[in-house]
Amino acid sequence: MDILVWPAVPAGIALGLFVIFHFWLMGKPAGCSTGYGNFCGMVTSKIEYFRVGEYAKINNSKLWFLLGIPLGGFLSAMTSPEPWTFSFSMGMYDTILPQTLAGKAIWIVFGGILLGFGARLAGACTTGHALVGGAMLNPPSLLAGGVFFFSAFITTQLLFGS
Amino acid sequence: MALLNFFSTHRNNFFGWIMGITFGFLMSKAGATTYDFHAKMFLLENLRLMIVIGTSVTVAMVGVFILKRSKVKSIVTGQEVDFVKKPYQKGLVLGALLFGVGWGMTASCPGTIPAMIGEGKVAGLFALAGVIIGTMTYGVLQSYLMMARRYAAAEQEKLDLDAFCQQPPTDKE
Repeated sequence: MDILVWPAVPAGIALGLFVIFHFWLMGKPAGCSTGYGNFCGMVTSKIEYFRVGEYAKINNSKLWFLLGIPLGGFLSAMTSPEPWTFSFSMGMYDTILPQTLAGKAIWIVFGGILLGFGARLAGACTTGHALVGGAMLNPPSLLAGGVFFFSAFITTQLLFGS
Repeated sequence: MALLNFFSTHRNNFFGWIMGITFGFLMSKAGATTYDFHAKMFLLENLRLMIVIGTSVTVAMVGVFILKRSKVKSIVTGQEVDFVKKPYQKGLVLGALLFGVGWGMTASCPGTIPAMIGEGKVAGLFALAGVIIGTMTYGVLQSYLMMARRYAAAEQEKLDLDAFCQQPPTDKE
Protein backbone atom coordinates (compact mmCIF):
# COMPACT_ATOMS: atom_id res chain seq x y z
CA MET A 1 0.00 0.00 0.00
CA ASP A 2 1.09 3.57 -0.59
CA ILE A 3 1.31 6.03 2.26
CA LEU A 4 -0.24 9.41 1.57
CA VAL A 5 2.62 11.80 2.32
CA TRP A 6 2.65 15.50 3.11
CA PRO A 7 4.54 18.00 0.93
CA ALA A 8 8.25 18.02 1.85
CA VAL A 9 8.52 21.47 3.44
CA PRO A 10 5.53 21.18 5.86
CA ALA A 11 6.68 17.65 6.78
CA GLY A 12 10.18 18.98 7.48
CA ILE A 13 8.82 21.85 9.58
CA ALA A 14 6.68 19.37 11.57
CA LEU A 15 9.70 17.14 12.23
CA GLY A 16 11.79 20.16 13.24
CA LEU A 17 9.09 21.27 15.68
CA PHE A 18 8.98 17.70 16.96
CA VAL A 19 12.72 17.78 17.74
CA ILE A 20 12.31 21.07 19.64
CA PHE A 21 9.25 19.85 21.54
CA HIS A 22 11.02 16.61 22.46
CA PHE A 23 13.81 18.64 24.10
CA TRP A 24 11.27 20.72 25.99
CA LEU A 25 9.04 17.84 27.10
CA MET A 26 11.57 15.10 27.86
CA GLY A 27 14.53 17.32 28.74
CA LYS A 28 16.92 15.44 26.46
CA PRO A 29 17.62 14.87 22.76
CA ALA A 30 15.42 12.50 20.74
CA GLY A 31 17.05 9.27 19.56
CA CYS A 32 16.10 5.92 18.12
CA SER A 33 18.97 3.46 17.89
CA THR A 34 19.93 3.54 21.61
CA GLY A 35 16.53 2.07 22.45
CA TYR A 36 17.51 -1.15 20.63
CA GLY A 37 20.24 -1.58 23.27
CA ASN A 38 17.57 -1.33 25.96
CA PHE A 39 15.64 -4.02 24.13
CA CYS A 40 18.76 -6.24 24.05
CA GLY A 41 19.25 -5.73 27.79
CA MET A 42 15.62 -6.68 28.28
CA VAL A 43 15.74 -10.01 26.45
CA THR A 44 19.01 -11.21 27.99
CA SER A 45 20.92 -10.40 31.15
CA LYS A 46 23.98 -12.32 29.87
CA ILE A 47 25.45 -9.41 27.91
CA GLU A 48 27.05 -7.10 30.46
CA TYR A 49 27.29 -4.10 28.09
CA PHE A 50 23.49 -3.76 28.00
CA ARG A 51 23.27 -3.66 31.80
CA VAL A 52 25.78 -0.90 32.67
CA GLY A 53 26.47 2.75 31.81
CA GLU A 54 23.71 4.34 29.74
CA TYR A 55 21.82 1.03 29.89
CA ALA A 56 21.92 0.75 33.70
CA LYS A 57 18.18 1.47 33.71
CA ILE A 58 16.72 -0.65 30.92
CA ASN A 59 13.04 0.15 31.22
CA ASN A 60 13.26 3.84 30.28
CA SER A 61 11.59 6.35 28.00
CA LYS A 62 13.95 5.53 25.08
CA LEU A 63 12.60 2.00 24.98
CA TRP A 64 9.02 3.26 25.15
CA PHE A 65 9.76 5.80 22.43
CA LEU A 66 10.76 2.90 20.18
CA LEU A 67 7.63 0.95 21.16
CA GLY A 68 5.46 3.92 20.19
CA ILE A 69 6.80 4.28 16.64
CA PRO A 70 4.87 1.32 15.07
CA LEU A 71 1.60 2.80 16.31
CA GLY A 72 2.51 6.10 14.65
CA GLY A 73 3.20 4.27 11.38
CA PHE A 74 -0.10 2.44 11.73
CA LEU A 75 -2.00 5.71 12.27
CA SER A 76 -0.31 7.17 9.20
CA ALA A 77 -1.36 4.14 7.15
CA MET A 78 -4.92 4.49 8.50
CA THR A 79 -5.05 8.08 7.24
CA SER A 80 -3.97 7.00 3.74
CA PRO A 81 -6.61 6.25 1.09
CA GLU A 82 -5.55 2.64 0.44
CA PRO A 83 -6.63 -0.01 3.00
CA TRP A 84 -4.01 -1.39 5.42
CA THR A 85 -2.47 -4.64 4.19
CA PHE A 86 0.63 -6.72 4.78
CA SER A 87 3.04 -6.33 1.90
CA PHE A 88 6.55 -7.56 1.14
CA SER A 89 6.84 -5.17 -1.78
CA MET A 90 9.72 -2.69 -1.72
CA GLY A 91 8.95 -0.60 -4.80
CA MET A 92 11.97 0.07 -7.03
CA TYR A 93 14.12 -2.21 -4.87
CA ASP A 94 12.10 -5.26 -6.02
CA THR A 95 13.85 -5.12 -9.40
CA ILE A 96 17.40 -5.19 -8.01
CA LEU A 97 17.07 -7.28 -4.83
CA PRO A 98 17.30 -11.11 -4.83
CA GLN A 99 14.22 -12.42 -6.64
CA THR A 100 13.38 -15.24 -4.21
CA LEU A 101 11.55 -14.37 -0.99
CA ALA A 102 14.21 -16.08 1.15
CA GLY A 103 17.00 -14.27 -0.69
CA LYS A 104 15.25 -10.94 -0.19
CA ALA A 105 14.72 -11.67 3.51
CA ILE A 106 18.40 -12.57 4.01
CA TRP A 107 19.46 -9.42 2.14
CA ILE A 108 17.28 -7.24 4.39
CA VAL A 109 18.44 -8.98 7.58
CA PHE A 110 22.06 -8.45 6.52
CA GLY A 111 21.41 -4.78 5.79
CA GLY A 112 19.71 -4.49 9.17
CA ILE A 113 22.77 -5.97 10.90
CA LEU A 114 24.93 -3.28 9.27
CA LEU A 115 22.44 -0.63 10.46
CA GLY A 116 22.39 -1.92 14.04
CA PHE A 117 26.12 -2.53 14.37
CA GLY A 118 27.08 0.63 12.49
CA ALA A 119 24.75 2.82 14.57
CA ARG A 120 26.30 1.59 17.83
CA LEU A 121 29.84 1.96 16.48
CA ALA A 122 29.03 5.50 15.31
CA GLY A 123 27.13 6.27 18.54
CA ALA A 124 23.75 7.15 16.99
CA CYS A 125 21.63 6.76 13.86
CA THR A 126 20.16 9.18 11.34
CA THR A 127 17.88 10.66 14.01
CA GLY A 128 20.47 11.13 16.76
CA HIS A 129 23.34 12.26 14.54
CA ALA A 130 21.95 13.82 11.36
CA LEU A 131 18.66 15.27 12.65
CA VAL A 132 19.18 16.17 16.32
CA GLY A 133 23.00 16.37 16.29
CA GLY A 134 22.83 18.47 13.13
CA ALA A 135 20.39 20.88 14.81
CA MET A 136 22.88 21.29 17.68
CA LEU A 137 25.72 21.75 15.16
CA ASN A 138 27.66 19.04 16.99
CA PRO A 139 30.86 18.41 14.92
CA PRO A 140 31.02 14.58 15.45
CA SER A 141 27.33 14.35 14.47
CA LEU A 142 27.86 16.44 11.33
CA LEU A 143 30.77 14.16 10.38
CA ALA A 144 28.72 11.01 11.04
CA GLY A 145 25.69 12.42 9.20
CA GLY A 146 27.87 13.29 6.19
CA VAL A 147 29.37 9.78 6.11
CA PHE A 148 25.89 8.19 6.45
CA PHE A 149 24.70 10.04 3.33
CA PHE A 150 27.94 9.53 1.38
CA SER A 151 28.06 5.80 2.08
CA ALA A 152 24.35 5.26 1.33
CA PHE A 153 24.72 7.32 -1.86
CA ILE A 154 27.58 5.11 -3.11
CA THR A 155 25.72 1.92 -2.12
CA THR A 156 22.52 2.96 -3.90
CA GLN A 157 24.41 4.07 -7.02
CA LEU A 158 26.18 0.68 -7.13
CA LEU A 159 22.93 -1.25 -6.53
CA PHE A 160 21.01 0.48 -9.29
CA GLY A 161 24.07 0.34 -11.55
CA SER A 162 23.98 3.88 -12.84
CA MET B 1 9.60 8.13 48.09
CA ALA B 2 9.58 4.75 46.39
CA LEU B 3 6.05 5.43 45.23
CA LEU B 4 7.08 8.84 43.93
CA ASN B 5 9.95 7.26 41.99
CA PHE B 6 7.58 4.66 40.58
CA PHE B 7 5.21 7.37 39.40
CA SER B 8 7.92 9.53 37.85
CA THR B 9 9.45 6.58 35.94
CA HIS B 10 6.13 5.63 34.49
CA ARG B 11 5.25 9.19 33.62
CA ASN B 12 8.58 9.43 31.80
CA ASN B 13 7.91 6.20 29.92
CA PHE B 14 4.36 7.27 29.09
CA PHE B 15 5.49 10.55 27.52
CA GLY B 16 8.30 8.71 25.75
CA TRP B 17 5.69 6.40 24.26
CA ILE B 18 3.48 9.32 23.15
CA MET B 19 6.51 11.00 21.54
CA GLY B 20 7.35 7.71 19.80
CA ILE B 21 3.86 7.53 18.29
CA THR B 22 4.16 11.14 17.10
CA PHE B 23 7.61 10.49 15.65
CA GLY B 24 6.46 7.38 13.77
CA PHE B 25 3.48 9.26 12.34
CA LEU B 26 5.61 12.24 11.23
CA MET B 27 8.37 10.05 9.70
CA SER B 28 5.70 8.19 7.75
CA LYS B 29 3.99 11.38 6.56
CA ALA B 30 7.39 12.81 5.61
CA GLY B 31 7.87 9.87 3.23
CA ALA B 32 10.82 8.40 5.15
CA THR B 33 9.06 5.04 5.35
CA THR B 34 8.46 4.87 1.59
CA TYR B 35 11.30 2.86 -0.01
CA ASP B 36 11.26 4.62 -3.38
CA PHE B 37 11.95 8.04 -1.87
CA HIS B 38 15.26 6.73 -0.52
CA ALA B 39 16.29 5.28 -3.88
CA LYS B 40 15.21 8.41 -5.73
CA MET B 41 17.10 10.66 -3.32
CA PHE B 42 20.38 8.78 -3.74
CA LEU B 43 19.86 8.50 -7.51
CA LEU B 44 19.25 12.28 -7.46
CA GLU B 45 15.85 11.86 -9.12
CA ASN B 46 13.68 13.23 -6.29
CA LEU B 47 15.28 15.13 -3.43
CA ARG B 48 12.14 15.15 -1.29
CA LEU B 49 13.76 13.47 1.74
CA MET B 50 16.74 15.81 1.47
CA ILE B 51 14.35 18.78 1.61
CA VAL B 52 12.57 17.21 4.61
CA ILE B 53 15.76 16.73 6.60
CA GLY B 54 17.19 20.11 5.55
CA THR B 55 14.01 21.92 6.62
CA SER B 56 13.70 20.04 9.91
CA VAL B 57 17.36 20.58 10.86
CA THR B 58 17.00 24.32 10.12
CA VAL B 59 13.77 24.66 12.12
CA ALA B 60 15.19 22.59 15.01
CA MET B 61 18.39 24.63 15.01
CA VAL B 62 16.45 27.86 15.60
CA GLY B 63 14.31 26.18 18.29
CA VAL B 64 17.32 24.71 20.10
CA PHE B 65 18.97 28.15 20.07
CA ILE B 66 15.86 29.75 21.63
CA LEU B 67 15.41 26.96 24.21
CA LYS B 68 19.07 27.25 25.21
CA ARG B 69 18.86 31.03 25.60
CA SER B 70 15.69 30.85 27.70
CA LYS B 71 17.14 28.12 29.97
CA VAL B 72 13.79 26.36 29.81
CA LYS B 73 12.94 23.52 32.22
CA SER B 74 11.80 20.11 31.01
CA ILE B 75 8.04 19.58 31.35
CA VAL B 76 8.39 15.97 32.47
CA THR B 77 11.44 16.06 34.76
CA GLY B 78 11.29 19.71 35.91
CA GLN B 79 15.04 19.94 35.43
CA GLU B 80 16.89 22.15 32.99
CA VAL B 81 16.91 20.71 29.47
CA ASP B 82 20.06 18.72 28.80
CA PHE B 83 21.47 19.57 25.36
CA VAL B 84 23.93 16.71 25.63
CA LYS B 85 25.89 16.17 22.43
CA LYS B 86 27.00 12.78 21.18
CA PRO B 87 30.78 12.69 21.70
CA TYR B 88 33.31 11.68 19.07
CA GLN B 89 34.09 8.03 19.61
CA LYS B 90 36.60 5.61 18.15
CA GLY B 91 35.08 3.86 15.17
CA LEU B 92 32.63 6.67 14.38
CA VAL B 93 33.64 6.90 10.72
CA LEU B 94 33.78 3.13 10.21
CA GLY B 95 30.44 2.75 11.97
CA ALA B 96 28.92 5.50 9.84
CA LEU B 97 30.23 3.83 6.67
CA LEU B 98 28.70 0.48 7.65
CA PHE B 99 25.45 2.22 8.59
CA GLY B 100 25.32 3.92 5.20
CA VAL B 101 25.75 0.59 3.39
CA GLY B 102 22.88 -0.80 5.48
CA TRP B 103 20.79 2.26 4.65
CA GLY B 104 21.46 1.85 0.92
CA MET B 105 20.69 -1.88 1.06
CA THR B 106 17.40 -1.65 2.97
CA ALA B 107 16.18 1.94 2.35
CA SER B 108 15.40 2.05 6.05
CA CYS B 109 17.02 3.22 9.27
CA PRO B 110 16.51 2.30 12.94
CA GLY B 111 13.88 5.05 13.38
CA THR B 112 11.78 4.21 10.33
CA ILE B 113 11.83 0.40 10.67
CA PRO B 114 9.26 0.25 13.53
CA ALA B 115 7.01 2.68 11.61
CA MET B 116 7.30 0.51 8.48
CA ILE B 117 6.17 -2.49 10.54
CA GLY B 118 3.17 -0.49 11.74
CA GLU B 119 2.32 0.27 8.12
CA GLY B 120 2.29 -3.45 7.33
CA LYS B 121 5.64 -3.61 5.51
CA VAL B 122 6.86 -7.18 6.04
CA ALA B 123 10.46 -6.30 5.09
CA GLY B 124 10.48 -4.14 8.23
CA LEU B 125 10.29 -7.29 10.38
CA PHE B 126 13.44 -8.69 8.75
CA ALA B 127 15.20 -5.34 9.04
CA LEU B 128 14.20 -5.21 12.73
CA ALA B 129 15.68 -8.68 13.28
CA GLY B 130 18.88 -7.48 11.60
CA VAL B 131 19.15 -4.31 13.70
CA ILE B 132 18.68 -6.34 16.89
CA ILE B 133 21.33 -8.88 15.82
CA GLY B 134 23.72 -6.03 14.90
CA THR B 135 23.16 -4.22 18.21
CA MET B 136 23.51 -7.51 20.10
CA THR B 137 26.82 -8.25 18.31
CA TYR B 138 28.19 -4.85 19.27
CA GLY B 139 27.17 -5.43 22.89
CA VAL B 140 28.85 -8.86 22.97
CA LEU B 141 32.09 -7.40 21.58
CA GLN B 142 31.98 -4.53 24.08
CA SER B 143 31.33 -6.96 26.93
CA TYR B 144 34.43 -8.97 25.94
CA LEU B 145 36.47 -5.74 25.85
CA MET B 146 35.18 -4.81 29.33
CA MET B 147 36.14 -8.27 30.58
CA ALA B 148 39.62 -7.99 29.02
CA ARG B 149 40.14 -4.56 30.59
CA ARG B 150 39.15 -5.89 34.02
CA TYR B 151 41.49 -8.83 33.57
CA ALA B 152 44.37 -6.53 32.60
CA ALA B 153 43.63 -4.30 35.60
CA ALA B 154 43.59 -7.29 37.93
CA GLU B 155 46.89 -8.52 36.49
CA GLN B 156 48.40 -5.07 36.99
CA GLU B 157 47.17 -5.02 40.59
CA LYS B 158 48.79 -8.38 41.20
CA LEU B 159 52.07 -7.14 39.76
CA ASP B 160 51.88 -3.99 41.88
CA LEU B 161 51.21 -6.07 44.97
CA ASP B 162 54.14 -8.34 44.18
CA ALA B 163 56.41 -5.33 43.79
CA PHE B 164 55.10 -3.92 47.06
CA CYS B 165 55.93 -7.13 48.90
CA GLN B 166 59.38 -6.91 47.30
CA GLN B 167 59.04 -10.32 45.84
CA PRO B 168 60.33 -10.72 42.35
CA PRO B 169 57.32 -11.38 40.09
CA THR B 170 57.15 -15.09 39.46
CA ASP B 171 55.23 -15.00 36.22
CA LYS B 172 54.03 -12.51 33.63
CA GLU B 173 57.04 -10.37 33.03
